[in-house]
Amino acid sequence: MAAFAQAQPIDPAAAALGDLIRIRGLEKTYADGSVHALSNINLDIRDGEFVCVVGPSGCGKSTLLRILAGLDDYDTGTAALDGKAITGPSRDVGVVFQAANLLPWLTVRENVALPLRVGGKQVGQAEDVDRLLDVAGLKDFGHRFPYELSGGMQQRAGICRALVRSPRVLLMDEPFGALDALTRERMNLELQRIWQASRKTVMLITHSISEAIFLADRVVVMSARPGRVIRELEVPIPRPRSNDGIISHPAYPALAKEIRGLLNAQGDE
Amino acid sequence: MSEAKTSVLANVTAIEAAAPKAPAVAGRKRRGKGAGGTVIMVLGLLILFGGWALAVKYLEIPSYILPSPVAVWHALWSGIAVSPSSPLGYYLPLWGTLKNAAIGLAIGSGLGLVLGSLMAESRVIEKLLMPYAFALQSLPKVAIAPLVVIWFGFGDGSKVAISALLAFFPMLINSFTGLRAVEPERIDLMRSLSASRFETYRIVKLPNAAPYIFAGLDMAVVYALLGTIVAEFLGAQQGMGVVITQAQAVTDVAGVFAALVILGAMGILLHGIVRGLEARIVHWGDRGRK
Repeated sequence: MAAFAQAQPIDPAAAALGDLIRIRGLEKTYADGSVHALSNINLDIRDGEFVCVVGPSGCGKSTLLRILAGLDDYDTGTAALDGKAITGPSRDVGVVFQAANLLPWLTVRENVALPLRVGGKQVGQAEDVDRLLDVAGLKDFGHRFPYELSGGMQQRAGICRALVRSPRVLLMDEPFGALDALTRERMNLELQRIWQASRKTVMLITHSISEAIFLADRVVVMSARPGRVIRELEVPIPRPRSNDGIISHPAYPALAKEIRGLLNAQGDE
Repeated sequence: MSEAKTSVLANVTAIEAAAPKAPAVAGRKRRGKGAGGTVIMVLGLLILFGGWALAVKYLEIPSYILPSPVAVWHALWSGIAVSPSSPLGYYLPLWGTLKNAAIGLAIGSGLGLVLGSLMAESRVIEKLLMPYAFALQSLPKVAIAPLVVIWFGFGDGSKVAISALLAFFPMLINSFTGLRAVEPERIDLMRSLSASRFETYRIVKLPNAAPYIFAGLDMAVVYALLGTIVAEFLGAQQGMGVVITQAQAVTDVAGVFAALVILGAMGILLHGIVRGLEARIVHWGDRGRK
């Protein structure tokens, strides 16, 4: 893409520090001027880091994710991936949508392989579709259609699809929001396992405080609209984490309490 | 500006774009009802034909107004129980009518799909063509038939042309509506993959519009048959329209009824074929929608 050719590195030192994503002074107001979505967002995400973003409804979390995915533009400030300003969708970024967003007329395997057959001749590494399906426990369901799968299985296929181009960054927009609590806990375990095996950089948006603490190296708390980053909290709980183990870890209650307090102060949740 | 455009679109959509899924599903459920439903259906038919026969007999309705069911059956049988190449049978005229209707359907619905796609993909083309589509849609299109006969003559050309004209509009409006009805998340997915416009059309928008397109095709099939018959009324060498006008010329009302029975059966058959094709191709049904 031409836009990528002319994009310059905004801060060469960033790469040295290991920041894969660097956001500075990001502002976004929607076209009709009525909604001030994001205000002065500053956020760095290290290479291989798992960041969860929590915030009240409508605080612009999804907008932030869409900007990083190259699906929305922004007004001022910078958002850079590996030192290059983000100007559009990139092969280095995989997106996991809410509610799986699989195409019902394609089989599970065709859905997962979709990124390999569109988008032109972009050179890059590709994962083996069958190996991904195997890892996600979908080996025997490749020839099935999405509506034959449970919600959890559909979202696992959605994650496989986001991984198939072997992107460096995985952006996940409330991926498990539509699942029941038990399935959700299991999906969190699965995601941790996949992430530990692949070491992608992940930004995951969630409403669930427990999910954020379970998954994240760092939890980013955003304010009500216009969205700002009001706190970043490291999660000092060793991995691999288990659903039982995490609650009994001494650091968990204080973290959960602090996040809940920050969100309550925003008048939500 | 944009308000005016959407209101035109809303009007056209309200007029013609058939709701794609729900009625079909309801119909299918109701049909698969087993023995009880069949009994009711047979009873209904018996009452209908019995009442008809009794009315003709005891109300002394003359046969040139309403022939008895037996007379219609005789006329029907005399057209069916002959060699397929006999000029007296239904086979040759039916073949002629179906062939012209099929060619007209292919041309009309094909053009409707192409133009509907172009209008859905391009605001400029939409703004350019929608006023004409709206105007023509409001016109009773069979009224153009005499003009088409002047242009294309009394041969197959005019039959194909009128069929194509009638089949064109339901496909145009339904494919346009269906292609615009795509969920934004699916477009986001394709954008996130840097998919080309054509890839997005082929992989997401077209399958997404399939239920609408089949609903349009369902109407287009009947309209194409209607168009051929109307053109045949205006003058033709052969065809079911000719069978009807010839029977009418000698006040053979039973013959007219018999031809109508054949055409009705064709309509039901073609409708069944379209529904069957839809069930095979759109196998995900309304599970594709949220």
